[in-house]
Amino acid sequence: MESKVLKPILAVYVGLFILFLYGPFIVLGILSFQQGPEGGPQFPILSWSTYWYQHLFGLTPPSRIAPLPVGEALVRSLTLAFMTMVTATVLGVMAAQAFRKRFRGAGVVFYLIVLGMMVPGVLTGLGTSLLANNVVGIERHWWSTAFLAHVVYTFPFAFLVMLAILNRFDGSVEEASWSLGVSPITTFRKVTFPLIFPGVLSAMLFAFTLSFDEFPRTLFASGRDQTLPLAIYGTFSVEIHPNIFAFGVMTTLFSFALLSVYGILMGLSVRRAKKMAMQEDIA
Amino acid sequence: MSAASTNRQKTNTFRLLAPGVVWMILFLVAPIMMIVYVSFWTQTTFAINSTLTLDSWRNFFASEAYVGALWTTIRLWLIVLTLTFVIGYPAALYVGLLVKSKTVSTVLLVLCVIPFWTSFLIRVLAWRPMLGKEGAINIILQKVGLIDTPIEVLLFSELSVIIGMTQIYVVFMVGPIAFMLGRIDRNIIEAARDLGAGFGRIFWKIIFPLSLPGVVVGAIFVSVMVLGEFATSGALSGRKVNLLGNIIVTQVGSLKWAMASVVGVILTILLGIVVAGFLRIVDLKREI
Repeated sequence: MESKVLKPILAVYVGLFILFLYGPFIVLGILSFQQGPEGGPQFPILSWSTYWYQHLFGLTPPSRIAPLPVGEALVRSLTLAFMTMVTATVLGVMAAQAFRKRFRGAGVVFYLIVLGMMVPGVLTGLGTSLLANNVVGIERHWWSTAFLAHVVYTFPFAFLVMLAILNRFDGSVEEASWSLGVSPITTFRKVTFPLIFPGVLSAMLFAFTLSFDEFPRTLFASGRDQTLPLAIYGTFSVEIHPNIFAFGVMTTLFSFALLSVYGILMGLSVRRAKKMAMQEDIA
Repeated sequence: MSAASTNRQKTNTFRLLAPGVVWMILFLVAPIMMIVYVSFWTQTTFAINSTLTLDSWRNFFASEAYVGALWTTIRLWLIVLTLTFVIGYPAALYVGLLVKSKTVSTVLLVLCVIPFWTSFLIRVLAWRPMLGKEGAINIILQKVGLIDTPIEVLLFSELSVIIGMTQIYVVFMVGPIAFMLGRIDRNIIEAARDLGAGFGRIFWKIIFPLSLPGVVVGAIFVSVMVLGEFATSGALSGRKVNLLGNIIVTQVGSLKWAMASVVGVILTILLGIVVAGFLRIVDLKREI
């Protein structure tokens, strides 16, 4: 009875809530079509144009507004995200695999790993650069010190995803394989891995996107070569122009492309699993 | 199981865990220890050396600006935490419990997560054209006729930082709460209703207590992120709001590593107290 009243009210509320989440982004999207180069990053829209998108790709005649330094930064960020993804996922799968058996000190190891996602980036970044500067005495780079810090951050996510997957995993298929004399490594490759593959994909997706967008750790731990978030941060202190909004729209589209690839791979692996199950039924 | 196979299993576990554990000790635990150690180093104009001293600590507590940053951090954290809870709980209640169809609930959750596919920094920056003097909110309010002159306090103030942080972090509160609410056995609620309990009573006696672990997890997420923040306050306050994170960034920028470390240690202690406090409310290990 009360919930009859409550439910519609909350439905409206959730609508407003989602508007709150999307509002700034809608405004950003609209303003990215501001006229250029005179139009500023605010209303009103002088006239609609794709000037700032062309500006982003260097297709406009030179003006007083410098193009965003995104080209090289994008390559660096993609490389770093890829390195991080591979390392974090391998570490995550291994650690989660170990957690399937009980062992002493499991609690401590669990919290040690999870700590990586809980400690704020400012602290890991600061600590890593202190160690590099004052103890090891090496220069900081995005591919060295920042990479180490990125894995510290993303490995726990990969670990937790794999833990959730392996918790629901039926171990009897592995035992069957072992009892037939197949070596543990081959069993993992041929039996376990195909079954946990959807989880591995999710772990990879997490690690890649988190690293690609990582900012505080990179700010401290990388040297003078900028990654993409650092390049964006650099524009904060100076006057902002709608080109950064156009860039925001582009990165979001890129994320969706990535998400689609993930969705397609996921769909394929689910379909293959179904097919295999059907073949088993027939046999 | 034979002794040999137990042993083999042990080495196996060890081999699987060693790389990850070593990585975390070298690149997470050691750096944090390093922050503690360097906070006692001697700072000269452009360098630090390992002569131990309490100077930086004294300077921190002697400076009004630094101690002020500590209080600002705590105040903003409490405000944002309260707001994410107050704004997030009703949304979670709807998504996790009231929506009957699993599909609708999943779609709503996905809708909440989609904004995270935009760069964090761009999401922060997007608040500028929203809140500015000629921003969307002021224009809409003026068109509707609610105000005559634009509200200036919306941007480059503590308020804009609070609005920005609440929007960015509220989903971390909604997610865990909705998850816990989704796990509640509907039969319990049904039974309570059959016994004549009103919605208020059902909420306070059944729903809220069962969702508490979700609230705690959400609160930990939000707290950890807000306490370590510096980008939102930097971008939306026009340097008026200085959090501990902002102090660390400026100190590192001027090569004052020792002072940055002192602030880092204080931040770590603050985080430790907050997280430990939340974990006392609910035993998470038992819940998961």
